[in-house]
Amino acid sequence: MSFTAKKGEITCLIGINGVGKTTILNAIMALTPINKGQILIDGEPLKEKTFEKITFIPDAITMLPQMTVAEAMEFMNDFYTTWNQERATELLGFFRLNQTDRISSLSKGNTAKVNLLLGLALDVDYVLMDEPFSGIDMFSREEIANVFTSHLIENRGVIITTHEVGDIEHLIDKVVLLDDGIVTKEFDAEDARENEGKSVIDVMREVYVR
Amino acid sequence: MKNYGKLVNFEFNRVAKLFAVLMGITLILQIAGVFVEARDYLNMANEKIYEEMMPKAEFLETFGQMSFLQVIRSIWFLGPIGLCVAGVAFYIFLIWYRDWVGKNTFVYRLLMLPTSRLNIFFAKITTIMIMTLGFVAFQLILLPIEIVIFKGMVPVDFRNDMGLTELVGSMPELSIIIPGSFLEFILYYGAGLLAVSILFTGILFERSFKWKGIFAAVAYGAVAVVLFIAPLLLQEFVVDGFFYPIELFVLEIVIGLILLAASIWMSGFLLKKKITV
Repeated sequence: MSFTAKKGEITCLIGINGVGKTTILNAIMALTPINKGQILIDGEPLKEKTFEKITFIPDAITMLPQMTVAEAMEFMNDFYTTWNQERATELLGFFRLNQTDRISSLSKGNTAKVNLLLGLALDVDYVLMDEPFSGIDMFSREEIANVFTSHLIENRGVIITTHEVGDIEHLIDKVVLLDDGIVTKEFDAEDARENEGKSVIDVMREVYVR
Repeated sequence: MKNYGKLVNFEFNRVAKLFAVLMGITLILQIAGVFVEARDYLNMANEKIYEEMMPKAEFLETFGQMSFLQVIRSIWFLGPIGLCVAGVAFYIFLIWYRDWVGKNTFVYRLLMLPTSRLNIFFAKITTIMIMTLGFVAFQLILLPIEIVIFKGMVPVDFRNDMGLTELVGSMPELSIIIPGSFLEFILYYGAGLLAVSILFTGILFERSFKWKGIFAAVAYGAVAVVLFIAPLLLQEFVVDGFFYPIELFVLEIVIGLILLAASIWMSGFLLKKKITV
């Protein structure tokens, strides 16, 4: 399997559940071993300092449930030199989150927003997101989708996984279709729309329903 | 280094509540034990002397004086110690597994910190050491207080006073926890540190390879134990007292240090290359 994600672009890994989307993201962050091949970030293999350059937002929040939102931000600030408190505060306002709330007491949608906040408030070049829209309510989805078109994402390289492309079709630049551990098709969403008059879903239909 | 310090602080705060609760239980039960044991003895003395009119001298001859050792030997005193030991032993595993359980898998965050992953290992092992030494220190503060209470309750004629060293010395279980000399301290706690590092490596084997990892962990532990006791077995059964005690001692220390280094290296390798969230 081989694909490249560029800075300033949103690359979307699409495939049904179980094809290895999450595993790819885990492997990029050295959270699961790879048997062969290599993963390069800006042409270099992952080092400890790479975590100041790339961040991963998994589908569940990665903070202790007993922490408050403020404590979670403090934790991030303690360990990451790239933590940007200004942006964190901006995101807090944007998502209308309450700093004193405990993470364990948040609704599903708000938990996802805090999770997103903790990742996006880092001044990193690359952001990986695993199913940021799964299992949350419609309005939270909208708010999160709005982040993608804002300056909070601009100029960063984003890899996002999803099994339902509908919500974000208009946001993504590049699509990588996966099936059972291989890349079945890699294409530019804009190109497909303009030159072939096909939506991402049309292309997917061609690939999967044969 | 700075990140290591922050991680230790963080890890210790996560267990601080459990630590405080165990210390509280120790405090309450041990002091209650002093009262209960002393009262039992005094009640018996009162009964014999005032109700059965047994002369004091005869009572002391028959039943003996009470020493603080009776308190120390009671479940009131040893129970809480056992509880703290069990607590630390349990937490050796929990300190890793708690990061993997539940929806909020914190291990993602720990492994994605921009610092050497070995710092996670060092922070966790330091936390275990702080807990252990913390309990011991607390016990050392508690003991003299309990002795004062004991002396306040039992009249001087009825008690046999022993020094702290003498008390600890007459309880082998206790002299492991509170060693008599600095050398013993280094040896006992060094062996403890080594054991924890081997257990940690075993846990990381399991976390990296799941079921197969358990076999690897057991094999690793077995090899470590065999290597560690090899000089003693050799001395006993093969070379028949060939080594001087000091040589044997140095040999054990060297092997211990090698095993410690091997465990740290292996844990670092597993954390960096093989771990799975």
